[in-house]
Amino acid sequence: MKKVSHPFYSALGKGALDMLPLSLAVLPWGILFGSLAIQRGFTWLEAQALSAITFGGAVQIMAVELMADGASLFTVLFSAFVISSRHFLYGLTLRERLKTQPLRWRLSLGFLLTDELFALSGHRRAYKSRLRLFYALGAGGSFYLAWNAWTFIGIIAGASLPDLTELGLDFAIAATFIALVVPSIKSLSVLVAVLVAAVCSVTFELMDIELSLVFSGLLGMTAGFTVAQWERLQ
Amino acid sequence: MTMITILLLALITFTTRYLFLEGRLPIRMGAKARQFLSYSGPAILTAICMPIIFIKDHHLNVALNNPYLGAAIVAIIAAWKTGNIYWTVGLGMLVFLLYSGLSL
Repeated sequence: MKKVSHPFYSALGKGALDMLPLSLAVLPWGILFGSLAIQRGFTWLEAQALSAITFGGAVQIMAVELMADGASLFTVLFSAFVISSRHFLYGLTLRERLKTQPLRWRLSLGFLLTDELFALSGHRRAYKSRLRLFYALGAGGSFYLAWNAWTFIGIIAGASLPDLTELGLDFAIAATFIALVVPSIKSLSVLVAVLVAAVCSVTFELMDIELSLVFSGLLGMTAGFTVAQWERLQ
Repeated sequence: MTMITILLLALITFTTRYLFLEGRLPIRMGAKARQFLSYSGPAILTAICMPIIFIKDHHLNVALNNPYLGAAIVAIIAAWKTGNIYWTVGLGMLVFLLYSGLSL
């Protein structure tokens, strides 16, 4: 008989399972990044290091393109900062829950705090118990391993693989986010926040506005907050 | 040199993620700030996924044969009716695959 598994292990597994659609959805991008880096003259170690320690899809692809074009160090770092700035919002949102946790949890979950992990952080009790911390570690850690595995495949297979980004696997990201957002719409203010963010994100993206994501998020939040304040006055 | 740049990039992504998780940072958030931030999840996730659904090659695509749009509507209904992540992603992906198969 197998030993009955420890609840921490099942929390890890549950996190990894919930993350699975997102881990699979980024497969084309991980492969694209790995092969792009090699084509642009990076060594396999540098390509893998970008996924292993920088660990930010959009930042990695931008950095490889800019560095291959001979952009200045400042340009590369500044662009990375701009792309990465949305994470400040995630940290602020989770601050009250995580700031009192032990350093090792803050460092590890902070390192793993991607869009995808933030997406799975909406639960009322998220990060509030050991079990919930293990859940987040399973989700964030499995996503990290997947992203690095996909990068590795891209590095080895390189240009011999077809471009998979046209396959539509990114719909899994949309479907997962819909599954997380829709049940959270329990009041008029959240509905307004979502609608404003939706309209702004599509509009800004079409206008090629940099920081489109951060601006549309902030505008949606402001709209929701305003409606809630207005409702309280009524 | 490349490795140093990679290390600096890592420092940037890590700092933007970790900074506000640090308790010693002298930031006190009142009830209003917390309420404002409570909308960040729904607003940001929506802002990430709507362009995936509505934009194709830098153009708005609201045509009926856009598989992203048709499948997203099914996923929204599934999420609303079931509230279950597996049902929503499963049904959404199924419709998406059928839809893109048909419109090829």
